[in-house]
Amino acid sequence: MPEEKKEDMPTSVLRDDRKKPNVRTTIVTIDRKETPAQPVGDGCEAAIIRSENFSLYYGSKAGVKNITMDIYPYSVTAIIGPSGCGKSTFLRSINRMNDLIPHVRAEGRLLVDGHDVYEKRTNLVHLRQQVGMVFQKPNPFPKSIFDNVAYGPSLQGVRNKGELQNVVEQSLRAAALWEEVKNDLKKSALALSGGQQQRLCIARALATKPRVLLMDEPCSALDPIATGRIEDLMGQLQRTYTIVIVTHNMQQAARVSERAAFFCLGELIEYDETARIFSNPAQKATEDYVTGRFG
Amino acid sequence: MRNLHVRGQLDRVFTATTALSIVLLTLVLVAILGPMVYRGSSAVFFQGTVEFRKMQKNLFGRGNEQALNAEVAETDQLRRQVYQMIDGFKKGVDVEALSEQVREIYRQFGQELRDKNVPTGQYTKLRELTRRIRDKLETAFHSQDINEIKRAVAEVLKEADNPHLKGTSAEKFFALARQFLQAAGQIDLSKHQEYAAAVQEVEGILFHSDSLPGLLGPRPGEPPAPLTMLRYGATRWDQAQVLLDRFLWVDQWVQEKPGEPLVLKRRPRAELFPESLRPLFAYVEQNADKMLHPRRTIYWQFLIDDNINSHYFGGIGPEILGTMLITVVGMLFVIPLGIISAAYLVECASDGWTMRIIRMGINTLAGVPSIVFGLFGLAFFVLFLFPALGFEPKPCILAASMTLAVLTLPVMIRASEEAIRSVPASYKEGSLALGASRFHTFVAVTFPAALPGILTGVILSLSRIAGETAPILFTGAVSLGAVPHSVFDPTRTLSYGSYDMAVGDRLAMMVPHNQYGMVVTLVLLILILNGAAIVLRTRVFKKLRGH
Repeated sequence: MPEEKKEDMPTSVLRDDRKKPNVRTTIVTIDRKETPAQPVGDGCEAAIIRSENFSLYYGSKAGVKNITMDIYPYSVTAIIGPSGCGKSTFLRSINRMNDLIPHVRAEGRLLVDGHDVYEKRTNLVHLRQQVGMVFQKPNPFPKSIFDNVAYGPSLQGVRNKGELQNVVEQSLRAAALWEEVKNDLKKSALALSGGQQQRLCIARALATKPRVLLMDEPCSALDPIATGRIEDLMGQLQRTYTIVIVTHNMQQAARVSERAAFFCLGELIEYDETARIFSNPAQKATEDYVTGRFG
Repeated sequence: MRNLHVRGQLDRVFTATTALSIVLLTLVLVAILGPMVYRGSSAVFFQGTVEFRKMQKNLFGRGNEQALNAEVAETDQLRRQVYQMIDGFKKGVDVEALSEQVREIYRQFGQELRDKNVPTGQYTKLRELTRRIRDKLETAFHSQDINEIKRAVAEVLKEADNPHLKGTSAEKFFALARQFLQAAGQIDLSKHQEYAAAVQEVEGILFHSDSLPGLLGPRPGEPPAPLTMLRYGATRWDQAQVLLDRFLWVDQWVQEKPGEPLVLKRRPRAELFPESLRPLFAYVEQNADKMLHPRRTIYWQFLIDDNINSHYFGGIGPEILGTMLITVVGMLFVIPLGIISAAYLVECASDGWTMRIIRMGINTLAGVPSIVFGLFGLAFFVLFLFPALGFEPKPCILAASMTLAVLTLPVMIRASEEAIRSVPASYKEGSLALGASRFHTFVAVTFPAALPGILTGVILSLSRIAGETAPILFTGAVSLGAVPHSVFDPTRTLSYGSYDMAVGDRLAMMVPHNQYGMVVTLVLLILILNGAAIVLRTRVFKKLRGH
């Protein structure tokens, strides 16, 4: 393997065993920064996550209603909105984490890579390996750093020690944590600082080689310095992964995302390029929210 | 300002109260455990006498034979004096024994005549003569008048020169008569009966009675007593001192003046006897330690020895083994069943009314008296399940362990349930989000995180299983019996042994050190097991916390 720059490492190693459909190969070659924002509903072929009139009910109460939006690969999509608007519910619907709550019922379609995740024959294990998740509070397992990262791969049946070590190193490098912990991989993950723990959780999610990374307010429990590092990390990761982030922090959404969706009361109000959402939103509600007049 | 002052005072009062309660608790613990441990440790650390070493040599084959023989010879020399004093006194007072001796001589003489084929006429004459002597002596023995005795003995002694009696066993008549005359001269004849009973009691205290061991043990040459414990004197110096006290003093109910109630008076036993026997008491008191040779002894084999004569001698080895066996087998049931049930209750069960009833059942079970579990174990495991599975329906370790497991399961389930429930949901979510199944999540993440709490449950159930008595009364505990060879044998246990000794008979009063030793061993065993579990828990906890 030729010497590569640190941030390029995960790109090549993590992804070279993956069979990429043609569609995505073309997208990778496009310089995203110059790609014009595609309006919602357009460019169906390119979307990795498609939501078509998706609703999710807790019993009779709707968590989200009639969400229709496409999320594009190799970009960061931010979901913003006031508390209780259903952002997290929608995010957790994508890898079906809401199934843990009793009496949950979904309507409409939610496609990841063209497969409806709410179909009966959906393999949850497979889905969750494809769609990784990072939670609001860093939640490393009370195990060693190595075991934390190796958890996903060993679930997939990787038993070979050398292979596991490889995956762990690559994932930790991808999460920009390798240099800080490479000498004490056997240490408990709980001994790390909050920011390190969150990056460890990202590394853990990356180790299963997902295509989509869902982040549920990943920086809300962190201090500004750790937040900055995570945001830098997102910038690096979006070259290889599709990131969907829920955030309360509008500056953060403006900093890291290309597209932003504004949710309110369980409905999708507006979904557009981040720049447009923040500077020239189409909806009054959006404008009120981003300018701080409500929410 | 004033408010702040009051608040500060209240804080101080609160601190003082909590500190005081902790001090009180400590004091109570010390007050309970201190004496118990002190008395229990005397089962291992005590002053052992020569009788103890004799017993160890004969029953367990321990000790140096030569040193022991030298010691026994030394003590026997001093004891001989005691035997002589008592025998000398008995010659004058024990009329029944004397009469018996006389009758025996008469029989012997008759046999002798028959053996010598003496002609019939002479035989009849001599028999008649000796019968007369016999009757005269018996009259003398039972007489309370010294003159009458003197007359009767003189009449008997007239026959001493009879050539037909010379050189025969009949000569013993005269020796006996002379001895009796001498002894009778020194005592109050009206107290014959009283003295005889008193000297018999003294012999019981010094040697042994029908059921109780004595201070010095049986006299040499005596046929061995059927009970092993009667074959040795006081093996411990503390026991010896109790017996010495009983030997030297006597408690009597006395009415000091007519019309007044009786009072218990303690007076020297020597006062019960005439002058001739009084030196015995002083002698025994002065020479007790020389006759018994108390020496500091560490009898650690108490923990491995089997007992002899229901814990009169020996140790509690089989009891310790049985307790550990029952505990280990019980925990083999409790730990997996408890964890699986708790996991089901937390992870899988919905909150329906069936679950509520099950939960209520578990909580109720925790409060059921343990004897109920004992009867349940007998009815279900021993009498129903074993025959149904083709085993012999008898109490055994397996049945006892299963009964104890049923008893402690509620404790284990509740502790594990709490532990599993308190694992942060974020751990579970993290694992599920990585694609793990619920089972894998439980095994790989939830269970290790809940382990410290689960170990608390293990500690609680361990203590209960090792210490419970009632559940194993009918399901597997015996007070005597062989060391178990498999889980299908009944066993002795420390808890049941303690109970058995306490309710058994007066034995526990004679060997309180063994009873306390058993109880303290049980407490220590539980403490050690708990200590091990606590160390394990701390290590797991530290590992989880990453220190």
